Amino acid sequence: MKHARVLLNGSELDVTVEDNGQLKSKADGQLINEADVTWLSPIKEPGTIFALGLNYADHARELAFEPPKEPLVFLKGTNTLTGNKQNAYRPDNIDFQHYECELVAVIGKEGKNIAREDAMDYIAGYTVCNDFAIRDYLENYYRPNLRVKSRDSLLPIGPWLIDKDDVGDISDLKVTTHVNGELTQDGTTADIIFDVPFLVEYLSKIMTLKPGDMIATGTPEGLKDMQPGDTVVCEIEKIGALTTYIVSEEAFYGDKY
Amino acid sequence: MTNNPIVKGKLVCVALNDSDQFNAMQAEFGEAPYKSAPTQPVLYFKPHNTWSTEGAEVEWAVTEGQPAEEMVVGASLAVVFGKECCRVSPEEALDYVGGYTLVHDFSLPEKSYYRPDIKGKCLDGSAPIGGAVVPASDITDPQTLSVITKVNGEVVNEMPMSRTVRGVAELISTISYIMTLQPGEVIAVAFPGQRAAVAKGDKVTSEIAGVVSLNNQLGQ
Repeated sequence: MKHARVLLNGSELDVTVEDNGQLKSKADGQLINEADVTWLSPIKEPGTIFALGLNYADHARELAFEPPKEPLVFLKGTNTLTGNKQNAYRPDNIDFQHYECELVAVIGKEGKNIAREDAMDYIAGYTVCNDFAIRDYLENYYRPNLRVKSRDSLLPIGPWLIDKDDVGDISDLKVTTHVNGELTQDGTTADIIFDVPFLVEYLSKIMTLKPGDMIATGTPEGLKDMQPGDTVVCEIEKIGALTTYIVSEEAFYGDKY
Repeated sequence: MTNNPIVKGKLVCVALNDSDQFNAMQAEFGEAPYKSAPTQPVLYFKPHNTWSTEGAEVEWAVTEGQPAEEMVVGASLAVVFGKECCRVSPEEALDYVGGYTLVHDFSLPEKSYYRPDIKGKCLDGSAPIGGAVVPASDITDPQTLSVITKVNGEVVNEMPMSRTVRGVAELISTISYIMTLQPGEVIAVAFPGQRAAVAKGDKVTSEIAGVVSLNNQLGQ
């Protein structure tokens, strides 16, 4: 089942997404057209957002990095989250902002010191995120630093959370990004260096994982600069396609600019 | 681990904001892996599994299945936002502070600032926050405050806000241009560069004289 959260006439609604694309209210079964809603992040109470750097063998090569021997994990603030078909902004006066299409595993059960063999029992399901980065802001302190990776709106996620059992094997799913209709990123989760069971074991040795925590598993090669006006679609086979509209900093913040 | 009623959403910590440490590290900043001194505040998150409270026991860290050899603590003045704070100037920044409190950051020793220190900083219950939130109206100028930390009654650190690289208002402004802060979100603004070593069972007390104190004890 696909679980989503949407705004309808100013109210937040928990819905399921039917096979024909219609939305169905979990509260009263009412059918809703997608055209009438604003998509929200599908995770109602987001916990810790873990993200992986350099976790695809091909992407590490692209950035001229040796594949890491240990996962490169960083944390993101919940201010970064936004839903499907929403705006994300390009900061003023920068040279290079790129998307990162990523498979996200969402934790469904609290656990610590989880063994790799048991790890999948702690996963509720999956979604797609676009973990934007602004390379101009990289500094070698807690890299990738928060200025690069924790900006408002720069982690679109969704459209929905799909139950783990509806997806099955995640070890060879196509990961693609289209910018304005052109294919720019074309990879597979088969190139992931540290897979979901490994990451659940690794992180839960350090800390307790809780429902609503998310693990964004990194991105394959194919980086491209984004400009206001661009439409970017990140898609993962069997999970979903996430659309984001790039706008200027001024357009995004409006009166607060 | 204990839920903390003070912090909601996020706890942002500022590293390398002690000018004594910052100045002492200038030569190191020029070398690999840093290559140049930071031009921006150096920030990290303490995620929600770390949040704890006044009086709580702090678990001794376990790394690779073994009790950690060393743990350290730093204490910081922290601001708790009273209203949404998005892209504010330093001049107006303090208007968004609802109150002030203390944060203890228990961690493994800070050996490198190059990569996010998940192993060192994300330990369960390692970020007690409190004891109270002092209303912002009671604090005329946060730059005059000083945080004293004692371990088993002995002073191990003093961090006056006059010694920071960046003050409270400047930090709030800069961070608010990266991320919008919501009511109940917290920034710990200035830890002493020299974290204090702690041992199992140690009692750690930090205090801003006459304003607020925070007491925790290490587990066995």
